[in-house]
Parts: sequence; C-alpha cells; structure tokens
Amino acid sequence: MTENTNYFEIPANLTIKKFISKLSKQVDLQIISQQYTIKTFYDSFDWRLYSANMLCEHKHSQKNSELRLVNNKTGQLLSSMETEQVPDFSQLFTDESFRQLLSPELQMRALLPLCHLSYEAYLINILNKDQKTILRLQVDEYELLNNRLQLLPLKGYEKAHQKIAQLLQDKFNLLPSASCTVLNEALKHQGRKPQDYSSKLSIKLKPEMRADKASQLIYKHLLHAIHINEAGTIDDTDSEFLHDFRVAVRRTRAGLSQIKNTLPAEIVAKYASFFAWLGQITGPTRDLDVYLLSYPNYKEVLPESLQDDIAPLYDFLMQKQQQAHNELAEKLKSPEYTKQLLEWETYLKQSLPKKGSTTEANQTIQELADLRIWKVYQRVLKEGGAIEAGSPPEALHDLRKTCKKLRYLMEFFQDLYPAQDIKRAIKSLKGFQAILGDFQDYEIQELSIKQFSEEMMANLVASNTLLAMGVLVQYLDVMKCKARNHFSEQFTLFVEAENKAMFTQLFKHKA
Amino acid sequence: MTIIATYNIKGGVGKTSTAVNLAFLAAQSNYKTLIWDLDPQGASSYYFRIKPKVKGGSKALIAGDRDLDGLIKATDFENLDLLPADFSFRNLDLVLDERKKPTQRLKKLLAPLSEEYDYIFLDCPPNISLLSEAIFEASDLLLSPIIPTTLSLRTLEQLKKHIKDNKLKNIQLLPFFSMADRRKKMHREIIESLAEQHPDILQSIIPYASDIERMGLERQPLGSYINKSRSVEAYQSLWQELLAF
Ligand SMILES: Nc1ncnc2c1ncn2[C@@H]1O[C@H](COP(=O)(O)OP(=O)(O)OP(=O)(O)O)[C@@H](O)[C@H]1O
Ligand SMILES: [Mg+2]
Repeated sequence: MTENTNYFEIPANLTIKKFISKLSKQVDLQIISQQYTIKTFYDSFDWRLYSANMLCEHKHSQKNSELRLVNNKTGQLLSSMETEQVPDFSQLFTDESFRQLLSPELQMRALLPLCHLSYEAYLINILNKDQKTILRLQVDEYELLNNRLQLLPLKGYEKAHQKIAQLLQDKFNLLPSASCTVLNEALKHQGRKPQDYSSKLSIKLKPEMRADKASQLIYKHLLHAIHINEAGTIDDTDSEFLHDFRVAVRRTRAGLSQIKNTLPAEIVAKYASFFAWLGQITGPTRDLDVYLLSYPNYKEVLPESLQDDIAPLYDFLMQKQQQAHNELAEKLKSPEYTKQLLEWETYLKQSLPKKGSTTEANQTIQELADLRIWKVYQRVLKEGGAIEAGSPPEALHDLRKTCKKLRYLMEFFQDLYPAQDIKRAIKSLKGFQAILGDFQDYEIQELSIKQFSEEMMANLVASNTLLAMGVLVQYLDVMKCKARNHFSEQFTLFVEAENKAMFTQLFKHKA
Repeated sequence: MTIIATYNIKGGVGKTSTAVNLAFLAAQSNYKTLIWDLDPQGASSYYFRIKPKVKGGSKALIAGDRDLDGLIKATDFENLDLLPADFSFRNLDLVLDERKKPTQRLKKLLAPLSEEYDYIFLDCPPNISLLSEAIFEASDLLLSPIIPTTLSLRTLEQLKKHIKDNKLKNIQLLPFFSMADRRKKMHREIIESLAEQHPDILQSIIPYASDIERMGLERQPLGSYINKSRSVEAYQSLWQELLAF
C-alpha cells in the first residue's frame, strides 16, 4: 500500500453510474447525498498559498457554501467555514483561524479566484452486516475532467479501508492519484499551470548568445511583467500589482541605461523617456500605497493615548490614494500609453539584423554581463567608500540608485553564473541595499507626513491628530537616523575581503 | 475535556440512553465527543452498531498495554467516537484490584485523550464496586438518572452519603428524573416532593416515552431517527442544563 491511496482517478470509460452499480455488487453501500457543486480555487496572483502548500477552495452547492483551507500535499483539512462570499483580503476574515493561517502568507495580496469547476458530488457510505458505516467515499463527477474518488477512512476501521482500497485497484482498475486535488488538471484546461507568475526574474540565457539578442529577451520578459500586472494595477486589485508593474518599468529603464549600446541610440532615447514617464506617473499612487501599508505600524508606534487620534490620517491617505489611483488608471487607459507600449512590443518582436548594429551588440552576453556588472560594482565601491559620517543624504541616495542598477544587472544575468555564487552575491548586496532603502523611505515618509499635516490642518482636523502626527514624524526621524548610523557597518560587511574576492572571481573581465 | 459519567447504583434507569443521546447532542454541537462503554453488556456499543470487542480484553486495557486511542471506533456520526465494551469487562473489578492504585486507574488511562476530545461520556454498569470508585475519581460530573419512585429516594441518599464519606470533592453529582410518566399520579407527586427536598436535582425531566424505547430497534441515537418530539426536546434541555456546569 502506498500512503496516497485515498485519492483515485476513475478512468474515462467508467461512468459514475456504472462504477456505483458495479461497486454495489461487491459491498453493501448507501448513497447519502448527491449534490451539484461548484468549486472555485483561490490564491493570490503570485501563488502565495500554493507556494506555502496551501489550497483554498470554495465549494458551493444548493445545500451549503463552504470555504476550505487544505494542505495540498497531504489533503489534510486546516480550517473550514461556512460562507457565501470569500473575503478579498486575509484581514477581512472574521474567522480567526483563517486569518491566522492566511495573513502571514498573503500579507497585502488579494485572494483571487483561480478557476471554477462544476461537478456532481456523491457521498457514499459502505456498510457492514450490522449496517454500520465502515468507510465513506466521496465521488466527484466532473464535466471536463476525469472523475475522482476519495476515500474518507473512519477511525478504528482501517482494515475495511485497506481492503476496499485494494479492491478498487484490483477490480476497478482505478489509479491512485499522486495529488489530492484536481487543481493542476483544472488549470491545464485553461492553458495554465501553478506558479506561472512570480515577481522574481528568471531569464534563460546562454553565455554565447549575442548581446543584442539577449537584451531583447530581457526586455520581452519585463514587458510581459508589465502587461500581466496592468489590469490589476488599473483595477487596484491589490497594491502589489502596481508595485510589480513599477519594478518591471524600473528594470527596463536600468536595462536601457546599463546594457549599453546594444540597441540603436534613437530607440534607447525614445523608450528611455517613455519608461521614465511611466515611472513618474505611477510614483504618487505607490507612495500612498506605502503609507497605507505602513499605517498599522504608524498606529502601533504611538503612545496608546494617541492611537485613536491618528485615524483621520488613514481616511486622508485613502482619499488621496483613490484620487491618485484614478488619475493613474486614466493614464494607463489612454491611447498615448497603449500606443507606445505596443510600438515597444512590435520593436522587440522584430528579428535582429544578421550583424548587430554596434560593437557591443555583437559581443557575447557573457562578455557584456561581466563587464557591466564589474563596472557598476566598482562604482558602488567608490561611491560607498567616499561616504563619511558627515556626508549629505544625497550621497546615500546616489549610492542607493547605483546599488539598484547593480542588483538589476545581476538579476538579469543570473543564469550566466553558478547559481549558488550569484545567489550569495545578490544576497550580500540585498542586506546592504536594505539599509539604504530604509534611510530613503523614512526620510520621504517624514517629509510627507509633515506635508500632510499642513493639508489636513486646512481641513480643520482635531489638534490631537496633529499631535499624533507630530509624534509619528519624531519616530520616523529616529528610524531614519538609526538607518544612517548603520550604514558604515553594513558597507563594511559588503566590502569585506571574502565578499570582494567573490565578486572579483565572478565578474572581473577575464580578457 | 469534561468527563461525564452516567451512573446509578440501580439498573435499568436510563443511564445508557442518557449517555448515548447526550453524546450525540454534544457531537452535533461540534464538540469532539467520545463515549466509553464500560458495561460488559455493551448496550451503548449496540446502539451504535459497534462490535463489543476489545483486543486483549479488560486485562490489557487496564494494564495500559494498548493506547486507548487505538481501540476507539468512529460512529456513523461526525465528531462522535466510541470505545467499545467487551464481555471481559464483567471482571473489571478483579483486574482493577490487582493494580496498586485501582481507583486512580481510569483517570490515568483517560488523560492522554484530553487533547482530542471535548467531552467523554462514561456509560457505567449499575452497582457500587471498585470500578465505580474509579469512575468517581475520573469524572467531573456524575449524572444520575432517577426514576420517580420512593425507592429511588433511598438510592440517591445512599449515593450522596457515599460521595461525602469518601471525600470525593472533585466530582459534582447531578441527579435528574428519568423515565417519568406524567400519567402516573405517584410519579408526579414524587417529582414534586423530591425536587423540594433535593434542590440540586436538575430541572429537565426525561419522560417515559415509546420513541426512546424504540432506540433498541433503531440502533441509533434518538435524534438520528426523530427530528422533533417531546423526548428529543427533553434531552436537548438536559444537555443545555449540563453545559452550565
Ligand atoms: N425515557 C424512557 N422511556 C421509555 N423507555 C426508556 C426510557 N429510557 C430508557 N428506556 C428503556 O429502558 C431500558 C433501560 O434503559 P437504559 O439501558 O438506558 O438503562 P440503564 O440504566 O443503562 O440500564 P442498565 O443498568 O441495564 O445498564 C431500555 O430498554 C431503554 O430502551
Ligand atoms: Mg446501561
């Protein structure tokens, strides 16, 4: 017996009617219920539940509507509740156990329907000679997929369970199915598969690929990310759509400026300005999203006596965010945007000339990657090394931007380097980048909250709200200074000998 | 986990019917519930159509050779499991007597189940014995059915005295009227006077009813073959009253 013998696939040529009638000749059975059921699978856009081995399914029938959270490896039920409507966000669940299971995985992401399946669900009891139930069967008759059977064993009746599992394999030719769910099959019908979207870059490159060809491939990847996040950004389904959209835009810009000269100069100029514009029009909404996401933390850092007074800030932010988002959505629906993006797409689809238009375009991508990464790495060392305790904030901001470029380059070209090494190199940069990011974020938030308080004052907001915002500004300032003070420590870590040796070994041009 | 024993020194007073029907109601309210059939006659096992058989019999059981958990059977009802009786339970007293602390034995055996179950009902055989001592030690509530007759007054007082003499402080005795026949004048009168003398008797009264009697034919809890009746309501009311303790 394998351990997965609770789930079986029923061959297409065996109808449920035939199966039940055949089974009733072997065992005493009783059909308890037959229900037309619609099952909807839910996950976040980037498969966070699936990645955490969780399956969220909503079963709707005339009799009831149930939301179930299941371990998708073992089929074990983690939690269930009766509900007609599935809340959009984990925080909106009234059921505590759902909230606790979902929140750490989903965070700010919305729970979205993945696919629907309709089937006839039969519940069947198998009885012994005393008419006692010794095993339950759930048989699902699908319209589009092969039918499924699940054994629901009863405590203390393991022998009956094993006997019938064996019978089903020997006499009914049922195949134990590897998975407890039909999710994969259902997705296949839509031409999809699990985890077909991730915000992480993974571009397949060959070292000897011509540089212009490789950069084309990278831009295509990024364009795909822009496309796929567009609808969710326009609908504001959750804040991550815009975030991922912006990351793809920023990466494209970094590509245009950093993968030097592989595309004709006029193309680079044209699209650099288009993507700069995209970065700019998406900025205000993203900033407000960040404040809204930080809001629970804003509240938490206040003295308890002021925690309720900060609430008007939330309403203010919400209103501003909606306004900013409406403007953004308009722009993303405009012909101006659509046309330029389509032109970019068309450009990327063109086949390349036999010979690249520049020397750089004819290099191998490995040569170009080594060179560019090494160069930008050198710049990070130089800019970072020049920073002292008294350096102005701008110096840190410039360094942050250079680090981002380095990060994007390493991510574009990951595939060209030994996986473990490049991962380690990226990780060492990440730690160092985080402190620069914090410094910048706290500074911007501090300034923004100050500015908001002025705007809110014009709206006659209560004095305690302003007081609370004052405390918040103080907190953000403390955090900003803390980040600033940690800079040299983090930088020292980044430039320590072993790490330097790793970068040198990986990227220093071998020419 | 709350352990409820249905107990009376006398036989045939409704202990098993009460345990079976209350356990069913508990399970229906989504409490994980177990009923342990301690009576060698195996009446509650019979009501759930479960074979009154325990591997190794009372010896292995009391020795703790096997996990209680491994002997448990699922009933046909969600959240409701049963630990079956065995014919060898007729010598449970002798087997217990061979142990060092016989009266602590059941409590110890039940302890590992506390995670899994919210309620455990012990369906006890009649009379006072070493087994009933062990049951008193293990239980939180001692639910005692009383048929409204003059004789039952004496058994109730006997039981109270026993609990007092043995300083059983951790157990709460909850007597209630069982098989009460309102057509009988004597029943009505006794209920009235007894309720006065013993204010600790629960309010809910289980009537003498043919649908309860039919459980033996149906081989299932009352609520599973009758939706609404005076008897069903009486058990529901008794269950609600118990929840307060
Ligand atoms: N309220 C009632 N009305 C009518 N009949 C009842 C009622 N309660 C129990 N009975 C019947 O009386 C008989 C004895 O009941 P039950 O088995 O519940 O009592 P008991 O105290 O467990 O008996 P024992 O001491 O033999 O274990 C059974 O046949 C049962 O069906
Ligand atoms: Mg009995």
